[in-house]
Amino acid sequence: MIVIDPASPVPPFEQLRAQLAAQIQERVLAVGTRLPTIRRLAADLGLAVNTVGRAYRELEEAGLIETRGAAGSFVSAAGEQGRERARRAAAEYAAVITSLGIDTTEAVRIVQAALTRSVPESG
Amino acid sequence: MSRKVRPAELEIARLWLAGRGLADVASTPMLAARLTVRRRARVAAALLLAGFLIATALVYVSALPIRTAEDGFGTDQRGALAVLTALTAGLVLGLSLLDRRVRQVDARVGAELPRRAAHSVRPGWRTVLGVPRLALLTTTYAGAAVLAIAALVTRDGAARYAAVILLIGVCGVAAGTVVQLRHVLTHSVVADDEDSLRADLLMRVEDAREVALPTAVWSLPVVSVFDTGLDPWNTGWLVFIVLSVIAIALITVRDGRNALAARRGTGARRTA
Repeated sequence: MIVIDPASPVPPFEQLRAQLAAQIQERVLAVGTRLPTIRRLAADLGLAVNTVGRAYRELEEAGLIETRGAAGSFVSAAGEQGRERARRAAAEYAAVITSLGIDTTEAVRIVQAALTRSVPESG
Repeated sequence: MSRKVRPAELEIARLWLAGRGLADVASTPMLAARLTVRRRARVAAALLLAGFLIATALVYVSALPIRTAEDGFGTDQRGALAVLTALTAGLVLGLSLLDRRVRQVDARVGAELPRRAAHSVRPGWRTVLGVPRLALLTTTYAGAAVLAIAALVTRDGAARYAAVILLIGVCGVAAGTVVQLRHVLTHSVVADDEDSLRADLLMRVEDAREVALPTAVWSLPVVSVFDTGLDPWNTGWLVFIVLSVIAIALITVRDGRNALAARRGTGARRTA
């Protein structure tokens, strides 16, 4: 389900993008799932077509969905591949940590520090 | 709400929810307004169809007895068929306008919602209408058209005239059904949370199944075809109608059982 709250400080296109991205990443929307058409979703959510179009465009640029012409927009396999890459990198990291004899708490702290550095400050 | 919802309408909405396993969902003026307009539209559609059947019967009898001209039907019959074609177009237009009224109320109610919810994967026709109902609907209309065309080819006189009447009626009602089904399947969701989204889907399912009942195909032959006597061809018609009524009864019972099982499953998950 997607819920758009016009009273929220978050712009509607971002609310839509974030909810769809989360559903794709949490596999609520499986690879190959066909998303509603831009026009149909805009009508359902009471949004402008351009607003939904922008959210879809950003999801497409992030590799989470792909548009196959008139057939519509589908959840892309790229999201799955990204998750698989992350899993492989984590396994490699775990092997390095084990070989160096670093404990788990310290290892998690290193990851958190790296993630904090890599995520830009928002708002 | 721009129109004040009466307590009785709210109570009907509450009963509607309870009857569909959504007793825990609050009955809202939004839901009451949507159900009210649907109820009225269904009554109006039934009256429209009844009026159409009566008018078809009048058109049929007005041109009797059949006097076949060299190039087909006589002037009386041709005039009657033109009137019937106009009546059929009026029926399709009337059904379409009723649909439009329902969509207008939905759009107005939707515009008044403080927030909007939608499905991330829109339920398709398989979910809303179901394969058995669509198959039966298609078979019923196709079967009726084949029986009518067969009569046109193989019979003559009054039976041919009755078959033309039937064919025009079936084509018109089929066009009206297609227009209505298209509206039901494509109209915008009106919901602001998960509960209202579920209610919206149930409403859409009921709308589609109501439209998909081939009531007119069961009634139209009574108007004209059965007047020509109970010969083997008309007996075939009767068997065809009875079989399709039995099929729809079986599909409805099956759907009811599936809904009950789904409701029990949901209840079990909630209590777990």
